[in-house]
Amino acid sequence: MRKIGIFGLLSALLLTLTTSCSSSESKISELTIYSGRTEEYIAPYFAIWQRESGVKLNIRYGDSAELAAQILEEGKNSPADLFISQDAGSLGAVAEQGLLTPLPKDVAEGVPAKYIQGNREWVGLTARVRVFAYAPDRVKVLPTSFTDLSKPIYKDQVAIAPTNASFQAFLTAVISNKGLPFAEDWLRKVKANGVKIYPKNSAIIEAIDKGEVSIGLVNHYYVWEVAEALGRPINVKNGYFKANDLGNLINVSGVGILASSGKKAKAEDFINFLTSERIQSRFVSDIHEYSLLENISIPEDLPPLSDLGAPNIDLEVLKNTKKTQDLLIKVGLL
Amino acid sequence: MTTLEIKNLDVSFGEKKILDNLSFNLDSGQIAALLGPSGCGKTTLLRSIAGLIQPDAGTIRFGKQLVSLSSLSLPAHKRKIGYVPQEGALFPHLNIAQNIAFGIDRSAFTKEQIKQVVKEMLTLIDLVGLDKRMPNELSGGQQTRVALARALAVKPAMILLDEPFSALDAQLRAELRTDVIKLLRTQKTTAILVTHDREEALVSSDVVALMRDGKIMQQGSPEQVYSSPTSATTAMSTGDTLVLSAKRLVNGQTNYLFNPINLDANILEIGEVVIRPEEIKISKDLSSAKIIGEITKIDYYGHDAMVEIAVSNESVQVRIPGPAKYATGEKVALEHLGPIRFFANSKS
Amino acid sequence: MQLTKIPSTTGSLNSSINRGNTYKAIVLSLVFVVIALTLIPIFYLLMRAFQKPVAEIWALLFRPKTLEVVLTTSLLVVAVVALTALVGILIATGLHFVKLPFRATFLILLVIPLAIPSYVFTYTWIALLPSFSGFLAAVFILFLTTLPYVILASLAGLRRVDGSQIEVARSFGFNNAQIFFKVVLPQIRGHISGGVLLVGLYTMSDFGAVSLLNVDTLTVTIQNMYRASYDRNAAAVISLLLVFLSALFVITDERFKSKNLLNKTTKTTGTKVYTISSKPYQITLISVFAVNTLVAVAVPVYVLLTRFINNPVAIDWRSIATASISTVVVAFFGAVIALVLSIPIGVLLSEKPTRYSRITNRVILIGHALPGVVVGLALVAFGSKLGFIYQTTFLLAFAYALLFLAKSVASMSGSLAKVPEGAKEVAATLGMNKWAVLKNVVTPIAAPGIALGTTLVFLTAMKELPATLMLRPTGFETLATQIWSSAAISRFNEAAPYALVLLIIAAVPTFILSRPDRVDKALTTQEIRG
Repeated sequence: MRKIGIFGLLSALLLTLTTSCSSSESKISELTIYSGRTEEYIAPYFAIWQRESGVKLNIRYGDSAELAAQILEEGKNSPADLFISQDAGSLGAVAEQGLLTPLPKDVAEGVPAKYIQGNREWVGLTARVRVFAYAPDRVKVLPTSFTDLSKPIYKDQVAIAPTNASFQAFLTAVISNKGLPFAEDWLRKVKANGVKIYPKNSAIIEAIDKGEVSIGLVNHYYVWEVAEALGRPINVKNGYFKANDLGNLINVSGVGILASSGKKAKAEDFINFLTSERIQSRFVSDIHEYSLLENISIPEDLPPLSDLGAPNIDLEVLKNTKKTQDLLIKVGLL
Repeated sequence: MTTLEIKNLDVSFGEKKILDNLSFNLDSGQIAALLGPSGCGKTTLLRSIAGLIQPDAGTIRFGKQLVSLSSLSLPAHKRKIGYVPQEGALFPHLNIAQNIAFGIDRSAFTKEQIKQVVKEMLTLIDLVGLDKRMPNELSGGQQTRVALARALAVKPAMILLDEPFSALDAQLRAELRTDVIKLLRTQKTTAILVTHDREEALVSSDVVALMRDGKIMQQGSPEQVYSSPTSATTAMSTGDTLVLSAKRLVNGQTNYLFNPINLDANILEIGEVVIRPEEIKISKDLSSAKIIGEITKIDYYGHDAMVEIAVSNESVQVRIPGPAKYATGEKVALEHLGPIRFFANSKS
Repeated sequence: MQLTKIPSTTGSLNSSINRGNTYKAIVLSLVFVVIALTLIPIFYLLMRAFQKPVAEIWALLFRPKTLEVVLTTSLLVVAVVALTALVGILIATGLHFVKLPFRATFLILLVIPLAIPSYVFTYTWIALLPSFSGFLAAVFILFLTTLPYVILASLAGLRRVDGSQIEVARSFGFNNAQIFFKVVLPQIRGHISGGVLLVGLYTMSDFGAVSLLNVDTLTVTIQNMYRASYDRNAAAVISLLLVFLSALFVITDERFKSKNLLNKTTKTTGTKVYTISSKPYQITLISVFAVNTLVAVAVPVYVLLTRFINNPVAIDWRSIATASISTVVVAFFGAVIALVLSIPIGVLLSEKPTRYSRITNRVILIGHALPGVVVGLALVAFGSKLGFIYQTTFLLAFAYALLFLAKSVASMSGSLAKVPEGAKEVAATLGMNKWAVLKNVVTPIAAPGIALGTTLVFLTAMKELPATLMLRPTGFETLATQIWSSAAISRFNEAAPYALVLLIIAAVPTFILSRPDRVDKALTTQEIRG
């Protein structure tokens, strides 16, 4: 009896081992993707590609930054062919170590140059806007700039997620635009104003809904995401700072091909698929993100990107997160 | 034929010398008792013989075979020794039959043969029918029997028993001891029994070795060690002993309590006379008495009694056969029947 | 019949002696290998940390935030340890001595929280009380999740307390409280310290509860730094700080234990059971059990069930089945690897303690405080260099073994030490060499305890998340990763079925763990006759 049990488990393990092995040796080419984008939101498009191209995708989901850390540890031995990230920072960090390969000109042709990294080592997929989410019934005076958040009227009411890559991208923009001392001063003031720390954007939205805080720095689409997850309307709205305020930063999710990949041609096909009009318009309608392609309509209920008065920040600078993190560590928010 | 020969054995634990240049021989088929107070090294000697301890120096031979030579030693599992430790140490996870069969070489015997041996052993130790019991379902005495059977089942060249009866109550102990000795004798097994019980040592063995401080002080038949001790100390280790100060005179006589001759003759040496309590006779007839004392205490044991008598300044213990006809406070005549064992004080 | 065929195996003195030394050499070299494997994460951390300039390391270590986090972590550990020790010992003592109906059921209910991962535990409490957050909440959750460790450890100790000693104390006129403090407690201190050790190290390494409750401990800081990814070196420095703190804890715990060196019993016979049947005791105990069951079992199960029922999305049973099988299989192999690795260590530790064995023990224990993310990344760094095992279930199972080795070693050395010295010696005189003794005497006697430790590793591995995320084969999902991927986007309803299935599967080994009395029976327990 006992022997059968162990044998059963053994064969089950062998099964799992062989399935992962046989797939890597099968004749149909396949791609391995490290995806920082959540399975829930991106898996349907992966499925379309698999169906249409016949190329199997092995997808490893995780947090963008953690996956970047993993790729950095793996170095040239990384099994990944592609890295899809929620933000420019993680892609930048991987590119900086020379782990991404420059994309040929004919890849992602529709994407404007400002959303493609200088060496073409990664390309933007969607845009998301930094906003402040707030409880309309509790916040009477809306902030006009991110600097307002250190004001006494918002004492103990503000939430941030310092570990979140989008927040770090925003802070990186502040540092590169206004200088390190300014950024440090602002962080310290906000901290002294009783800022509450959350692990991620969705947690901030929930905290506002629950009444723990009244206002929080997040990406624009979390309001829909959380409401959908909770299955009910929530008492949270998006707000925008004044034109050209760094708080309205546009960040992009993006994708790059690993320099160590042996399947670059297939990977390029895949990027072309993701940046095609068909898929891009699905991103807009399904997950409320902005497409980077110019001729695709904007998400429902959202102002056009051009109306946001988003600051003009080169996405290239957003990869310099080392300083940002040192700063966060220095002021004790990390 | 000599089965065991130990020469100049030394064992130390750290700074402490446990066995000190110890030598000991034992003939085939004999049962030896190692008698001594706790801490004298008897268990250590036993464990050295079993190969559980590696001596620092000296040799141990089984017959002609050298098993231990200074710091080299044959490991326990190659010595073919039966070992019965204190409280038996049965394997708690095995039943009685499995315990008994434990040491039997499975490659040399068939299952049937092993079964047969277990059955014989169970008969031998009188526990037929308990073969499926677990050790914790047996009484202490039964556990000891099983431990013995387990050791005997492999027909060892020699069997070592380390105070196997110490955990049992007196009556059970005596019964079991008788059984075990009988069993060992019928099997003609050479055996060494470690004990601190004087009676047990004398009753069970062909050879008694008296141990103290890592040395064997005297070795001989039970009669020998009891009747002819080599010192007051060895006398005391084998039985109740009366030690009286004495003086040996040049004329060969000995002056002591029971022989208060005058000391005109020159004193040759000063020492002690060692007397067993049963070597003194007492009587109510005081008429021809040389020595008279007064009974101060009577311990009555049924088959005999120990009477304490005050004589001059000494207190003398006398064993008399029961039933006692004396009373405390009674005056009695005393007479030493001999022999006079005189031991001169060591000249220091 | 006559046994005439006694084989003459007596070889020459020299060859036999050499074989004895071979045994020692093999054990020691295996210990060395295991220690080297255990040190992989620490080696990785040192390698990373010293890529930072020394000045920066100092700056990082002495910034106020670090101090604050160290303080929070220490306070959390002290609070959780004190609370679990106090409550755990009392519950165990009550369970052992007080005559109760449904004793076995109560024990299972007390131990079942072991089956609930701390992050699921926390989610459910947050779902029930939305404002549930902060330091005290973390103490509460960690107290509930680790309480079973102290209860189980104390019970194991209590079973060795001889009832006759208590009767002797009674005869001297001692009351129950005096007996508890003078007779019982001193004897079970060794066991308690073992349980407390697990509690403390678990608290230090926990990430799930503290991160959800917004308590900044060292593990949260480390994880944040890794999430912020580009500074793996800073994270390594803080991880080493955690290693240092756990070393401190291990040594403190050793002190506590060493004051009371348990007399190593060589008896194979057992102890007498002593019971109290007093109404007030029974009522108090049952109420305590009821409260514990309510907060530690009923709340999570209730919340998960309501979430499960309210879940509007169709449940993907296939995915649940696949994840369940994956979880069980990898955790099982993790436990088996841990078992194998712990054998040489256990053999070393069960023998006479030497300086080396003490150091070995410490190294193993200290590694236990490392959070999953550190071990995970260390194995990413090393494993990716060995392409063929990287992102295989084997490496993941190996990571589990490294993470939870201390649990397996503790039960291994404990069980081996329980084997009566006399039994080993007798076996030796009956012609068995060291290996045969190991096989025929030591293994069968120690097996139940070792199996228990392996079960504990299995149980813990099933709940593991951070290392699983990093080391699993791409596309390989366990119940824990499925819970994570739903919960990460706040879809708790969709996580509920996975959490429930995990709870049910984990309940099986928990059930086994909560019946050590069965196992113990085979070992030593026996009522004194007459």
